[in-house]
Amino acid sequence: MAAAIANPSVSIQDLSLNFGVMSVLKTLNLDVAEGEFIVLLGPSGCGKSTLLNCIAGLLDISEGRIFIKGKNVTWEEPKDRGIGMVFQSYALYPQMTVEKNLSFGLRVAGVAKDEIAKRIARAAEILQIEPLLQRKPSALSGGQRQRVAIGRALVRDVDVFLFDEPLSNLDAKLRAELRVEIKLLHRKLENTMIYVTHDQIEAMTLADRIAVMKGGVIQQLDAPQTIYNRPVNRFVAGFLGSPAMNFLKGELETGATPTFKGDGVSVPLDRYQFEGDGGRTAKSCVFGIRPEHIAFGEAAKAMPFTAESTVEIVDPMGSDTLVWTKLAGQIISFRVEADKTLRNGEAIRIGFDPARASLFDAQTDSRL
Amino acid sequence: MVDVAASPSDAGVLPRDDAGPAGAKPRHALSRRNIFLYGTLIVVALYYLLPLYVMIVTSLKGMPEIRLGNIFSPPVEITFEPWVKAWATACTGLNCDGLSRGFWNSVRITVPSVLLSIAIASMNGYALANWRFKGADTFFIILIVGAFIPYQVMIYPIVIILREIGIYGTLTGLVIVHSIFGMPILTLLFRNYFTSMPEELFRAARVDGAGFWGIYLRIMLPMSLPIFVVAIILQVTGIWNDFLFGVVYTRPDTYPMTVQLNNIVNSVQGVKEYNVNMAATILTGLVPLIVYFISGKLFVRGIAAGAVKG
Repeated sequence: MAAAIANPSVSIQDLSLNFGVMSVLKTLNLDVAEGEFIVLLGPSGCGKSTLLNCIAGLLDISEGRIFIKGKNVTWEEPKDRGIGMVFQSYALYPQMTVEKNLSFGLRVAGVAKDEIAKRIARAAEILQIEPLLQRKPSALSGGQRQRVAIGRALVRDVDVFLFDEPLSNLDAKLRAELRVEIKLLHRKLENTMIYVTHDQIEAMTLADRIAVMKGGVIQQLDAPQTIYNRPVNRFVAGFLGSPAMNFLKGELETGATPTFKGDGVSVPLDRYQFEGDGGRTAKSCVFGIRPEHIAFGEAAKAMPFTAESTVEIVDPMGSDTLVWTKLAGQIISFRVEADKTLRNGEAIRIGFDPARASLFDAQTDSRL
Repeated sequence: MVDVAASPSDAGVLPRDDAGPAGAKPRHALSRRNIFLYGTLIVVALYYLLPLYVMIVTSLKGMPEIRLGNIFSPPVEITFEPWVKAWATACTGLNCDGLSRGFWNSVRITVPSVLLSIAIASMNGYALANWRFKGADTFFIILIVGAFIPYQVMIYPIVIILREIGIYGTLTGLVIVHSIFGMPILTLLFRNYFTSMPEELFRAARVDGAGFWGIYLRIMLPMSLPIFVVAIILQVTGIWNDFLFGVVYTRPDTYPMTVQLNNIVNSVQGVKEYNVNMAATILTGLVPLIVYFISGKLFVRGIAAGAVKG
């Protein structure tokens, strides 16, 4: 996949985890560079949180090795791995004040009192929780609690931050705010961060690289834009993007120019970048195009491929409007500006550039 | 003014003509529902309180007054002599120092038994809930099955074991027996309570570097006051009220209060002193009664938090 990274901050080698006969993680490899922000993205049950718990040392792995900062930590206790972890439910100790919550790990480790005070002051300043230090967690709002939880990782002065869906318990507005804060925090601290989420917007906005996971296997590990524009298989293509990518079933025909043939539609693929020799053999395939890459009306005429269609359903979403129509006998959606008023049944012209499309093998689901 | 009486609202308060029912529905104190509800409650309360009333009243009467036979009538002349006698001078077997000996025996049995059983059971529950060691489920099932084995089956084997160790007939032996027999139910109680606590809290503590004891003492214990109260109540009342183990595993010198009470009440020689018997019974029941009164609210909260889940 990606080129090997010299001196990775976290390196996972051939990691497998089995619960009895069930295999949760399958010979997984992942190198995280120093100071990199990696997002593990996937649907529930894909093993992303499990992988994070393995890195943290909260789960014993079945096979493989884990290195953090060049040190083999496979058999180390969580506290000896140089990691700090932020949990979805915040996991603040309810009977302790914020200050005691922050200092708990340091007190357990027997750090000197003035050093503890210094580190708490620094963390509190970075996270702007100074006025909250003497409060109990029950007297804090969700956003404040999550800030304290981040602070708890911060005071421990660790190399690697692990986030386990830290924003999932917050409402949409707060989530967006804290997302920005985490990004700023990463820029300020320049620590390695591994962040688990099922929210693709968090993944796209935060990550240096995203690892999309499914069934205990990393499907694709790459920069957000690459994953978005050139997904390696149909799962990745469908998981990222909202509204989701349109898929059209059809045949790939070879010839002077490879062509996608659907029900009464043929899309020339001379501008499409095939992976390797994917375009050489004819086979049944799936043609994927994102709703925002479909042009409409006048703009459609300039596109290499155009087609006539009629409006089926109009979904106004505020910032823009999603229009459902039919192409090659299959339902597809595309985006138009919110001020365009379209009526159901109205005849329209749509078009797109096949270079922005994704083509997948119908059998293997992998990119052609 | 006739139609005002027919209207559900008070005259003059609502100026509108079309005023139908509005606001809170009126409730009548003497509705059929209330009569049934409170009637049942009062009957049940009387059912439980009447014997207590008779006991208190009788214990405050002298013997001549009791012989008149009006057991419900309040005492004409209040006397505390039966209480003093029951506590300090009533005879059981050879000893004539009343229930006081049994009381202190019971205290010496109950306090260490409660502390020991709860200390061990809470650690058991914590280990079973949070440190899922290999065979934890099997161990737990075996422990729970233990709760269903009738005590009577184990009495004699335990007599032999205690005799072989050399602590048969001592308070130490009885304390150990009580602690062991409290283990299944208490472990279940604590395990369920700790299981209901968020898993991530435990993980956070591990990342923070706390070990088995650190997490138990600094994170789990401070959060589990309600379940400790439940366990204390269960154990204090259970052990204080125990008769069987007390009579089997101790000697007359070390009999707990319940056994001594039985010996006072059931003594065959002489006149039956009902007033002394009543006073002795109330004295014996006082400890569980006080425990319930003090901790009633916490008890309910703890039961709701721990025992129902899991």
